[in-house]
Amino acid sequence: MKRVLTTCPYCGVGCNLYLVVGDDGRLVGVEPSVGHPVSRGQLCIKGWNAFHFVNHPDRLTHPLIRRGGRLVPASWDEALALVAGRMREIQDKHGPDSVAVFSSAKTTNEENYLAMKLTRAVFKTNNVDHCARLCHASTVAGLAATFGSGAMTNSIACVEQADLFFVIGSNTTEQHPIIGARIIQVCQNGGKLMVADNRKIRLARLADLHLRHRNGTDVALLNAMMHVIISEGLTDEEFIASRTERYEDLERLVAHYPPARAARITGLTPEEIADAARLFASADHAMIIYAMGITQHTHGVDNVRSCANLAMLTGNIGRPGTGVNPLRGQNNVQGACDMGALPDVYSGYQRVTDDAARAKFQRAWGVRGLPRDVGITSTAAIDAAAAGDLKALYVIGENPTLSHPDIRHVRTALQNLEFLAVQDIFQTTTADLADVVLPACSFAEKDGTFTSTERRVQRVRRAVSPIGESRPDWHIICEIASRAGYSGMQYDSPDAVMEEIAALTPSYGGISYSRLDGPGLQWPCPAADHQGTPVLHVGKFARGQGVFRPADYRPPAELPDDDYPFVLTTGRNYFHFHTGTMTRRSRLLHREERFPYVEISPEDARSLGIRDQQWIHVGTRRGEVRVQARVTDTAMKGVLFMPFHYVEAAANLLTINALDPEAEIPEFKVCAARVRSTP
Amino acid sequence: MKSLTLQQVQDFLRSLTSDYDVQAPIALPDGTRVLGRLDEGPLAIPGGRVDSKPTSPFFPQLDRIFAYRRGSIAMQQPVEKPLLVVGLTAEDADALTFIDEFFAAEYRDDVYFNKRDRSAVIVVSGRCGKDGGFLKIAGGDCDLEFVCDGERYVLVPYTEAGKRLAHRAPEGDEVSSIADLQAESDALPDDDRQVLERASRLLQEDRVPEEFWAEIADRCIACTACNLLCPTCTCFEVFDWTRGEQIERYRLWDSCQLAGFMREASGHNPMGEEHVRTRRRIHHKLAADRTRWGRISCSLCGRCDDVCPSGIGIKAVTREIVRRFGIEKENGPET
Repeated sequence: MKRVLTTCPYCGVGCNLYLVVGDDGRLVGVEPSVGHPVSRGQLCIKGWNAFHFVNHPDRLTHPLIRRGGRLVPASWDEALALVAGRMREIQDKHGPDSVAVFSSAKTTNEENYLAMKLTRAVFKTNNVDHCARLCHASTVAGLAATFGSGAMTNSIACVEQADLFFVIGSNTTEQHPIIGARIIQVCQNGGKLMVADNRKIRLARLADLHLRHRNGTDVALLNAMMHVIISEGLTDEEFIASRTERYEDLERLVAHYPPARAARITGLTPEEIADAARLFASADHAMIIYAMGITQHTHGVDNVRSCANLAMLTGNIGRPGTGVNPLRGQNNVQGACDMGALPDVYSGYQRVTDDAARAKFQRAWGVRGLPRDVGITSTAAIDAAAAGDLKALYVIGENPTLSHPDIRHVRTALQNLEFLAVQDIFQTTTADLADVVLPACSFAEKDGTFTSTERRVQRVRRAVSPIGESRPDWHIICEIASRAGYSGMQYDSPDAVMEEIAALTPSYGGISYSRLDGPGLQWPCPAADHQGTPVLHVGKFARGQGVFRPADYRPPAELPDDDYPFVLTTGRNYFHFHTGTMTRRSRLLHREERFPYVEISPEDARSLGIRDQQWIHVGTRRGEVRVQARVTDTAMKGVLFMPFHYVEAAANLLTINALDPEAEIPEFKVCAARVRSTP
Repeated sequence: MKSLTLQQVQDFLRSLTSDYDVQAPIALPDGTRVLGRLDEGPLAIPGGRVDSKPTSPFFPQLDRIFAYRRGSIAMQQPVEKPLLVVGLTAEDADALTFIDEFFAAEYRDDVYFNKRDRSAVIVVSGRCGKDGGFLKIAGGDCDLEFVCDGERYVLVPYTEAGKRLAHRAPEGDEVSSIADLQAESDALPDDDRQVLERASRLLQEDRVPEEFWAEIADRCIACTACNLLCPTCTCFEVFDWTRGEQIERYRLWDSCQLAGFMREASGHNPMGEEHVRTRRRIHHKLAADRTRWGRISCSLCGRCDDVCPSGIGIKAVTREIVRRFGIEKENGPET
């Protein structure tokens, strides 16, 4: 028996835990890390069950190649040669930008760095992206524009220094449970809690003020709150004067959002909005906490900017216990962004359009001709595949046939490709469409680092041997690079990759494995003697002055009408993670939520004659699925909520492929739907 | 009675590894203390209760019950080397006696006794608690006790197995009595115990209303850690995995805080509401088990209080119960 300290593979909180390895070399349990500053001996149910899927009989154990229409076992040599060969062949015929790579927020920093290096240095295209496109692309764009850095400004430890939480579009106790529970504890001891979310989530039940505004009306709500704060003289004038610019723009715009107007848009009362404004402005230390409810909109970037405006207006930034705190969903979605698995930046958000940055990476990688044009996003890549412009795709640990909007469109697009390679730990519905399937190791079988939502870079450690013939992602990516004729991606181990990352990435400059034996380091950590940065923008914003970028309210792309009278909003539940490939293979987690379901309000259920647990149909203009009705007052009248974990009734069959114009994030949170209770 | 230095204790335990699968408190890299083998990390005898579930050597989180292949079943066999579990506290040992009785009652649980039979348990107590605290002396419930006087560990055997173990210990200083340490143990405050007893009576008298449990339930995020780490929680889920021609049956720690725990095949769920589940956890330990087993099945180890992310461990909740519903004690029914 042995125990190996590692980082949880589920959400972005970054809890550390020990994997317990039995005498037969298989995982038999989990023990939380008591000394870790975030976990402190505590885990959520996913963490307690994080070992379970690793040894599941469904694990992919050898490479597969499509022959005669069927995926059949093949050798690694064959499979790797085919991936490298086909990608090269297609590029020779159709040009470098005819291929794209989807990297993964589930894999390590080292692997994301290598995936973007493979894409850029070997395949000479900037067509690399990952699932941040579906979750926090709006944050990366919105906060970079206002503060100069697109990440959570504060630390998880700041929760205990705050005296007010404004939780907007985050079901924190279910999606970032350890943070949610800490908020509960602070509020038990006098902290104030304001929740803006029309679902009556757990935090809403405990809130001092619960705002049930209509989906997609956040900008109107936030603008009206700022209108009240300004008109009642509750701003932090000194902060505005000394730390920010373009305040006049905000003042001018929010003048058009008196609470009465916002009330008509949001469905709230003017009094609720004014109360929220006063409560927020009354706090010395107010923390804004948000997640997908803010970002997954056609106006996601506007939502993010509006949150940033509210924080700056009241001086709630750059101090412990304050800040604009986007909670990142995946274990390493922060890291995947940091590593440049994005179409416009290298690691550390160095722009591909910047000649100096390009020259630096060319020198370091020993290549010439790094592409200067920004690549396509993963949402645009699906459209390009459907249009026949994208010919080949290498998908690492992503499952777009369940996670992207309008999956009928996604399936058509992927089937339209000349070549699709999928690297994963289980046979996903995306892998079902692949020409080559590469079996990867899970988090428990490899070394590396993840970066949590609070920018904490921490170790992932190998606890058990690879299952079957599976190989670590970093190893597979490097093999493909070699076979594509590039000799600059040969590493003995992930820590050698981290050395290269540190040398090329200013915010990771001081990070090395020898410094990560403890609880990790929070970037920016520019030098070997730098202790990391728990709170950003202290004294000065990353871009110098914070800039107010006010936004006007724009309605969602598709609103209810006579044919589709409901708003459908999608998300996750507590027990499952994303496309369910791991959690639905974890006994307790799957047992808790076995069936696809839709939350519907008691009023709507009554008027449609629908009983709790009845199987009903939910449809949109894209399709229809059969799900169990969950009649609950969590749902507001007129709004349906569906989790997107279930392959047998995929919520993303229903969602709309409408994108934010800047971040190209889909509007998973609003589309028009109808309900049919007949068989 | 022999008394050994910490170094001697360590050497002694190491000498026992030829005959026993010794599992003792080990300090992991971040300071977490668990029951582990001596080669897993530095031995950490002082420090009080281990962070892990103390009964896990006998009842691990995941355990394979049998494998079936082509018409034959390979049942889990008794462990080859008997277990020697070192470092339980008096509270942990008390909990172990409870689950011994539980697993032996009516249907004898082979998977548990495959590990528990022939095992030996050593409690650590005295002046070696966390931050210099005094650990209650068990005075039984185990085979052997190491009672620390601040520097040395006095070996107090209670069973034949304990005597044989003590006999194998190196010759240390002889100590004639631990009376002073026993007096110190007896003088430990028992406030938590009194609160627990009072809460137990209030529950038995049905004086805690549903609204209270709804309030507590609102704060529960269903992490299940209170159950998973509780030394007297014994519930498990059973599942099968099919690997080629082999079917493997496992059991896995379960939790009554989950909706699926008692959900019936029809979809009906007698514990379908959160507040019912929250009440059950505490009611079971303090009232139901008292009726069935004649005792409260919380030994006050404190793990659920430490591990609960939202502050509703059993000590916290029972304090709240007594504060809010025990005020009639002077003139109302005895609480």
